[in-house]
Amino acid sequence: MAKEYFYSGCAAAAYGAKAARVEVITSYPIRPYTGIMMELSKLVANGDLDAEFVHGEGEHAQMSVTLGASASGARAYTGTSGVGVAYGMEVYSPTAGGRYPCQCAIADRALDPPGDFGSEHTDVMSARDQGYIMGWAESPQEVFDNTIMFYRIGEDQDVMLPQFCCQDGYFVSHIPGKVPVPEQSQVDEYLPPYNHPHPLDPHRPTLHGPQIFPDQGAAIDIQRAGAHANLPKVIEKCVKEYNEVMGRNYAPMLDEYMTDDAEFVFFLQGGHAKTARYAVNHLRKKGVKAGMVRPRFTRPFPSDEIAERCGKFKAIGTIETSTSYGGAMRGGNLIHEVRASLYDLDKRPAVTSMMAGLGGEVVTLDMFFQYAEVLAKAAKTGQVDQWVYWAGFDIAGWEGARRLQF
Amino acid sequence: MAKIFEVTIWATGVLQDMEGRHASLLIANAADKAGKFVQAWDNYADLPDRVNVPLRKYARISDEEIEMRYEYENEHPEMVIIMQDAIIKGMNVLWGMPKGGVLVINTKRSVDDILKFIPNKDLLSKIVTVDANSIAKVADIDFMGGEGGVEVVGIGAGPSAPLVGAACKVTDAFSLENVVAVAANKDGVKKGYEQAVVTNL
Amino acid sequence: MPKYTVKFKIPKHLQVPMGAVIPSPKTENEGMITGNWRIVRPVIDHEKCTTCLNCYIFCPDACWQLNEKTEKMEWNAKYCKGCRICINECPADALTAEEELNFPDGVVRLDVPF
Repeated sequence: MAKEYFYSGCAAAAYGAKAARVEVITSYPIRPYTGIMMELSKLVANGDLDAEFVHGEGEHAQMSVTLGASASGARAYTGTSGVGVAYGMEVYSPTAGGRYPCQCAIADRALDPPGDFGSEHTDVMSARDQGYIMGWAESPQEVFDNTIMFYRIGEDQDVMLPQFCCQDGYFVSHIPGKVPVPEQSQVDEYLPPYNHPHPLDPHRPTLHGPQIFPDQGAAIDIQRAGAHANLPKVIEKCVKEYNEVMGRNYAPMLDEYMTDDAEFVFFLQGGHAKTARYAVNHLRKKGVKAGMVRPRFTRPFPSDEIAERCGKFKAIGTIETSTSYGGAMRGGNLIHEVRASLYDLDKRPAVTSMMAGLGGEVVTLDMFFQYAEVLAKAAKTGQVDQWVYWAGFDIAGWEGARRLQF
Repeated sequence: MAKIFEVTIWATGVLQDMEGRHASLLIANAADKAGKFVQAWDNYADLPDRVNVPLRKYARISDEEIEMRYEYENEHPEMVIIMQDAIIKGMNVLWGMPKGGVLVINTKRSVDDILKFIPNKDLLSKIVTVDANSIAKVADIDFMGGEGGVEVVGIGAGPSAPLVGAACKVTDAFSLENVVAVAANKDGVKKGYEQAVVTNL
Repeated sequence: MPKYTVKFKIPKHLQVPMGAVIPSPKTENEGMITGNWRIVRPVIDHEKCTTCLNCYIFCPDACWQLNEKTEKMEWNAKYCKGCRICINECPADALTAEEELNFPDGVVRLDVPF
């Protein structure tokens, strides 16, 4: 029988890693993900978890140790935040290219415009093209489940890819929520031990990460691309099985809320989806046909599902919690991908984006309501006036919606 | 939206970081036991890794689901709990409090001594003083379970237990028996409840 | 065709300097008051004080200054956070820690902590 605990996202990730029986953990402190490693170090010190705990001298070392541990056949776990993600950047491509299915927990944090520590997705979003599997959790419970699920997906022999298991810094990582923790036997049933086909072993020498010639580069890259092509199927299988074993109810790729008869939807990833749900509830009460769509994975991006299921809406409004300065739509990242996914449809919804939750500001219910007005108008006319709206700055009447938090 | 009972807890950085969090968790867990919707969390912007910095920990209790989950400041705390009495000199601890609020303070001093340092005391309807440090008999220094971590067992082994016990005396939002049920130091909660001095203002 | 050029209306309390560059404070930075962190304060015994300036050197917030007229050390209540470093470093034992609430003066009350 599952027991329910009151965990923050950090603790949920740590106990998820414990349930997944990780064997090597590498740490280096940075807010806000530190809590994960603090909990894990306690578990290791108390003898509750039999794992090697390595303290790296920086994120680059951390990622390298994780790569090595995974190459030697251990289930490796690490994590970082914000500028730490950026510092470990060099190792991401070798980890994904070498096909080491280790996991990197992320509690995201803004990259510094001098010294910010709030939640913003830009840190991991800038590492999104390296071949990692990547997805955001909405609640501590989903953090716990994703930790186990991502290992299973990444370690599938058709995939063998590392994973970024992301959660919003502070909002999810620090605010506790209820987490029903399954029995260890259930997790063991779902997640078999990790087997690398050719682990580093002194008795059976292998060479990992050799130097290759330029004409072999594309051949290596296409393998990574092939693994990503396999992912949607594997994800569907693994999520379905997880739901059966643990009694949960996760959609594999797209989490939809009140979308059956929706005219427009909010499209966003991560913890703010929780507020979006409340906003949708309020809007429905007023008779506005709003809905919410949340991708559970950003890599692989659920393009097929979006093309299949989001074409029926009249307008889609992405809520961007990351920046893409000078990008095609001049705002965030999600709108690019959503628009591209919809391009081949005959009838395309109007897509616009709202920059909100940058630098750790709270995306309030008010912001959703104001944005809903923009989207309702777009749904009626079928056109958008702007690609990007900056919550609180550029829609008339928005001044004062935002206040200084500290 | 249903009314939300907001509690703000003031503690000092590093030294009381964990105890402050425990106080908020005790309140939330106790109310949760009574079937309420709760929330307990730290103020992220206070940077709790600086020794002695005034920190805010929060708890919210409501009969309905709390929609302002991520709006991380309690703007209208009806109850303020202070873990270190010197904070009243440094902070406007009653910030945002609606008239008729309650102040619970961990102090050896008398009520008059405390009130001297609260210029906006007319907001208060009651003040509760309790010497939680000597009831708990443990120093408030414990670095286990830092920011973002959550204790699974042993919430409220230090001064947070008697303080929340004392707070039970002046509110219906959470009950003494539920706090006793979730606290590690059950005796401390009861003693805090008994030894608390309530002054009506 | 949607337009990109947008004139932002930035609320006054959110107008920050370009690149968050803060001009150098001449004497003090009002945004970084730490006097409200204090639980104990250092109390000086001028009889014992030899004005060796150890406290001036060791104070992380420059809260001890020598008043050259009176030749006495002066303490800054607005920024002293009560870290006790000066008390530990004083070679003449002229400084003692006393509870802050014993003193009615030196109140630095903020609405929001720094």
